[in-house]
Amino acid sequence: MKRKTPDAALLPTLQLVSYVVLAMGAVFMAIRAGALPASRWEPMSAGTFPQLIFSSIAVLCVVAIIFELAKHGLPVTTLKTAWQRLMSLKRVLVNLGLFVFYMVLMPWAGFIAATFGYLLAAQLYLAPRKPLSLLIALGVALLFSFGPYYLFADVFSIYLPRPRW
Amino acid sequence: MTDAFLIALGGVTEPYTLALMALATFAGIVAAAIPGFTITMAIVLTLPLTFAMPPMQGIAVMLSVYVGGLSGGLFSAALLGIPGTPSAVATTFDAFPMARKGQPGRALSLGLFASFVGSLISIVILIVAAPPLALLAVKLGPWEYFALIVFALTIIASLVGDSIIRGLIAGLVGIAIATIGPDPLMARERFTFGYDLLTAGIPFLVVLIGMYAMSQLLSELEPSASSEKAASSALVSGDMRPHLWEVVKSTMMKPFNIVRSSLLGVFIGAVPGAGSSISNLVAYDQAKRASKHPETFGQGEPQGVVASEAGNSSTVGGSLIPLISLGIPGSPADAVLMAAIMVHGISVGPRLILDHPDLVYSMFIAMAVASVFMLVIGVIMMRAFMRLLNVPKYIVVPVVLACCAIGTYTLNNRVSDLYLLAAIGTFGYLMKKLDYPLAPLVLGVVLGPIAETNLRRAFQTSADWTLFFTRPISALLLALAVLSVAYSIYGYIRHRRLVAERTQAQARAFQDGASQE
Repeated sequence: MKRKTPDAALLPTLQLVSYVVLAMGAVFMAIRAGALPASRWEPMSAGTFPQLIFSSIAVLCVVAIIFELAKHGLPVTTLKTAWQRLMSLKRVLVNLGLFVFYMVLMPWAGFIAATFGYLLAAQLYLAPRKPLSLLIALGVALLFSFGPYYLFADVFSIYLPRPRW
Repeated sequence: MTDAFLIALGGVTEPYTLALMALATFAGIVAAAIPGFTITMAIVLTLPLTFAMPPMQGIAVMLSVYVGGLSGGLFSAALLGIPGTPSAVATTFDAFPMARKGQPGRALSLGLFASFVGSLISIVILIVAAPPLALLAVKLGPWEYFALIVFALTIIASLVGDSIIRGLIAGLVGIAIATIGPDPLMARERFTFGYDLLTAGIPFLVVLIGMYAMSQLLSELEPSASSEKAASSALVSGDMRPHLWEVVKSTMMKPFNIVRSSLLGVFIGAVPGAGSSISNLVAYDQAKRASKHPETFGQGEPQGVVASEAGNSSTVGGSLIPLISLGIPGSPADAVLMAAIMVHGISVGPRLILDHPDLVYSMFIAMAVASVFMLVIGVIMMRAFMRLLNVPKYIVVPVVLACCAIGTYTLNNRVSDLYLLAAIGTFGYLMKKLDYPLAPLVLGVVLGPIAETNLRRAFQTSADWTLFFTRPISALLLALAVLSVAYSIYGYIRHRRLVAERTQAQARAFQDGASQE
């Protein structure tokens, strides 16, 4: 992989950061696993297997870091490059934000209202600004918020979240 | 055995079940035809609809989506030049040029017929191979089972993605996620950090929906050349008549290609981790190598379409061999099928075929019936599919994300699963962006608890750890695991060397060209 430009070095830098974060997390979890009480009934306690797995993750991450640095050296990127790449993912980030908000809102607002709001907002954000798109977005939001609710309730007797207000 | 077969036949051929299966096959084709919507996503979203059905009916419906989905990628591959699913990449090479030459109907018919034959061949092999393997597997102890899982994990990590080490890390992260919540033997609480949200653990399906569906859908919103191509490409025009008889005749006159591609597909499907996304390329490559006129491949060669489609559709039977006989899912799609069976209170493993032969027979029959539906629906609705492919992403992505939320909630009727979905989906997208393969992670979540259970059972039976290496089958499987890792490392190094040589050669050619000018 060419790493001559800050743009090309961005992914390897982030991968290196991910190895470090995963290794640190794995070491922490391995210590937590070791602290789980031993069992009287079996030689392996409930913590032995997770400890083995988390330790392996930590070892693999360290190996990955060593390999990466030995082979390609320390990748050099800039914050500006990272910010530009992040901004190019604006559509994804906005949608992810909307979806997370939808998940948090659903237990309180109920399935129908939350889904209608989410579908309308996400479609309006993504769709081209035309009156027809608005109409389609409205129709789709209505269909997929009321439709599944009544389909699951009446056909499968499964009740999607109702509003709490 | 005859009774079980007749019960299965009666269950699957009930008119209501048949109607549901036809609908599911249609849905599978449509879902896979939409670029960015994978077969696994389609199966995951079908799962909550099957909760209220009897097990036999539910499994038949999900298998129909699976079979339909494996041929659905053909439509976008042939008509838009974009593979609807990774399993249709090689189909694009020849089906699209063929359609552009004014023969879209023939290209689709060739693909559909090859998919049909591929599915049937894989079902026959599944019926022959699964029962004896299951009878053998019943005799395996926890040592052999643990070794088998280790072997499966090494194959998964080595076959998926560009980096072996990231594949292995992803697989282990999957196993680590599965350790959250009650431990599988004593139900002792682990890593919940006092959060009620984690007390019951992280349900496998939530991980699967978050990792596969959510991260894939979010990726679809990224700016890319293919999305622009999809938006700007004009629909192919030309003869949309299927010419089915002519296609059948021409394919069966040269049966070697379709049989070889199907057998390759079955074999690749049976290996955990390798699936239809690999088999279509391997089958295409083999067809090209065996052809007397390889130069026509890539320019609308019918044998190329046949090889790719037979190769990807035949993986379904192959991948069900380890699932039915050993209880090990070979791909994320099989993992959902496994979860669907388990949701109905049936444990999956080598005893499945002994304890529930009717269910296993119904799977065989359902696959055969779904293959017929796939061919009929595909041929009849060719023109309609052209219209369906034009549904814009601004509708598909939010609607399918909302369907992901429905699927997650209906699994346990638990609001906390929705929060887990949002968290895991975000984590999955991040992993994907950092080039970690997601398939090993998902399979790690499934295989992890099985590995832990068998490892601990082995030590409960005997504290002697050398048994893993002295019991012949266990030793053989562990040796295979080591070989698999060694082979992957060798393959990886060779691939890197080839790429480096090619790059150097290109640079040299460029320099020569520049100096001549």
